[in-house]
Amino acid sequence: MGKLSTETRRAQRLLLTALRVPETLPALPFADWELLLRVARRARLLGRLGCDLSRAGLLGNIPPRAAAHLRASRNVIEHRNTLVSWEINRILWALKGTEVPLILLKGAAYALAELPPARGRIFADVDLLVPENLIGEVEEKLLGHGWLKLQIDPYDDRYYRVWMHEIPPLRHRERGSEIDIHHRLLPRTSRLKSDPVPLFAAARPLADPRLRVLAPADMVLHALVHLFLEGDPDEGLRLRDLVDVHDLLCYHGQEPGFWAGLGLRARELGFERPLFYGLHHAHRLLGTPIPPDVLQKLEDVAPSWLIRKLMDHLIHLTLLPGHPDYPSRRPALGRWLMYVRAHWLRMPPVLLARHLSYKAWLRFRGVRKQIDLAQLDLKQQ
Amino acid sequence: MLLGLTSASRGLVWQDWDDVYVVYQPSSAETHVFNDTTTLILKCLEHGQLSTEGVKNWTEAALGVGQGELAADEFAFAVGRLEELGLIERADEPIAV
Amino acid sequence: MLVGDLSHRQFAGRLASAGLGVQFGPFNLRIRSDLGSFASLAHHLYEPYPLLDAEAISDFHVQIASPRGLRRLRRWVRPQACFSVDGQSIFAPYRADHAFPALEWGINWCVATRAHHLLMLHSAVVERNGQAMVFPAWPGHGKSTLCAALIHSGWRLFSDEFGLVRPEDGSLLPVPRLISLKDASIDVIRRFRPEAVIGPAFFGTRKGTVAHVRPPAESIRRAQEPARPRWFIFPRWTADAAFTLEPMPKSQAFLMVATNAFNYDVLDETAFRLVADMVRTCDCYSLRYADLNEAVTELEKLSGSIDG
Repeated sequence: MGKLSTETRRAQRLLLTALRVPETLPALPFADWELLLRVARRARLLGRLGCDLSRAGLLGNIPPRAAAHLRASRNVIEHRNTLVSWEINRILWALKGTEVPLILLKGAAYALAELPPARGRIFADVDLLVPENLIGEVEEKLLGHGWLKLQIDPYDDRYYRVWMHEIPPLRHRERGSEIDIHHRLLPRTSRLKSDPVPLFAAARPLADPRLRVLAPADMVLHALVHLFLEGDPDEGLRLRDLVDVHDLLCYHGQEPGFWAGLGLRARELGFERPLFYGLHHAHRLLGTPIPPDVLQKLEDVAPSWLIRKLMDHLIHLTLLPGHPDYPSRRPALGRWLMYVRAHWLRMPPVLLARHLSYKAWLRFRGVRKQIDLAQLDLKQQ
Repeated sequence: MLLGLTSASRGLVWQDWDDVYVVYQPSSAETHVFNDTTTLILKCLEHGQLSTEGVKNWTEAALGVGQGELAADEFAFAVGRLEELGLIERADEPIAV
Repeated sequence: MLVGDLSHRQFAGRLASAGLGVQFGPFNLRIRSDLGSFASLAHHLYEPYPLLDAEAISDFHVQIASPRGLRRLRRWVRPQACFSVDGQSIFAPYRADHAFPALEWGINWCVATRAHHLLMLHSAVVERNGQAMVFPAWPGHGKSTLCAALIHSGWRLFSDEFGLVRPEDGSLLPVPRLISLKDASIDVIRRFRPEAVIGPAFFGTRKGTVAHVRPPAESIRRAQEPARPRWFIFPRWTADAAFTLEPMPKSQAFLMVATNAFNYDVLDETAFRLVADMVRTCDCYSLRYADLNEAVTELEKLSGSIDG
């Protein structure tokens, strides 16, 4: 057990150091590069490292074999970013003539607004936020311009439309890309306030006025929603989602009024606890610069010392990637994560289990079958 | 109705062999295969916007066929396809991103 | 130092513990396995391949081993082998006696899903006199058989599966791994070249019957020597077919190579330009043959005909 934790800590330290101070990477010993590449790949942060080194002009100063891996990741990311931009282009074409306020979320927002999180990662789908009363019209237009509804059974389809915060994904018949159309950021049945109207009111237009992104505070909070509340609980919390939060805080943190607005918004939405943990862990693990008075103010919503210690420990455990040679303990933490989520959303855990992972569950029903290497058409990858 | 090239159609990378045009579109990362008709429609619009009829006439001339000889549905299909691919647009509407 | 320089005991010991580092062309692999039968066969078939130095960075950590946890109960009923990469197994388990082909397929998966710093064509590639002949894959059309025959007839093996193109200069990179043959092809090659080193046949795999041909040591020795592509040959074996070698229209060749490549899409404009350049500068043919010997002779003539 001793060796396991030493090696795991070493792997984690390598990754966090690489994220915090990429300029130290040219001096990294050969023996550490292999482990760093493996653990970064696992955490899906390879692209991020490649980007950091590229921007610092240091790609030529690392072992060529490592640089090849980073280049490979960047090629994938650049390609996917092109696909996302083009998808938005086609969506706008399909929606010509309708006056629909369109807010880009997550990866689509980062890509089109050229925000830092776009540089080092990919999002699988294009996420849009659209007013609920206009969803029908939007869906109809898209279906008329080459998108298809997913083949899911009517029960699942209805479940999505009644309970979820998004409609079932649409897939383009030729490109195969998927669009997720949201009408709110959290499921309807959660008792957290997730009224989308203030989000639309505060949204900011991009160079193309038909497109908007969330206001900085809302964007950060949505990234925290994504970090803490979305995804497969068995997978735990993903470090790269925290990296997104870190990037957004660094980027928007200079804007006057941002920090005050962030705290205020979190309070309005009842989202202060996740903000508390998010800021603390971003600061602790990634060195995010946060004004001391902001952290001070958040102490007002801090949990009891005991809960705080426990949460910090568990978040830390589930957030940091394991060592690739040693078995993961994530599934054991999955149940804990579900309870925390239920608590934050003020939803019964059983209901939550169904809700938040519904899309993941739909996907996994189809996709979680294990890959058969013998039959695999490798070009599908 | 006026047709025009979109900004996405600029930067197309062409390679032609044996009367087949293989085209790479950087804005979408797609590779297309165009025949003569489709290629000529794009070429025609390089000079600026034109009415649908005007494009058809120009294309027919370039193909070396008489006016009206290019089948209407073939032409319409090519135009529709180019629009779907984001390479041309109806010019009275906003420019695509 | 080569794999063959280790005793079987050393080889199996490393496989079962920290893992064994082996170089396959551009890829450094670290392989682990606790299966005795796998170790024996791997020691034999990987014999001429270089071992990695201690400081070498591995590209992939792969493992073919008996499953852990609950699945262990199955061990006595029907032993299984699980392939995993970096400790993660998202792959369906195999029969333990199919461990070797499973690892080979697994390595293919690693390359195809990760090596996006290269353009990866789905083709066999062989080389002679500094010029490479590329055989894009059509399912079931015999490129591996033809490839196996050629490398025992004076051609150097680059790969029977991956045409690796270096984007910086359009060169092909060798990755001379074992060639896997299926069903009837196995006997065809045994007859064609009785001295070829062929591993045991694995029956009832998900791809039918499979065996592995070890390339001549020279192909492995020269695994770091790239070459420029010179010919694209689209092969099709059909019983009783008359031999034909016909020029293929370049537009068709382009489309077939592009749609066939593993990661054409990922590399965006670079991929388009690389494939276009190759097709433009290479002679492209479609090949129909029934007699392997005849095909080998004709291809040799083709490559000889451009010499001074």
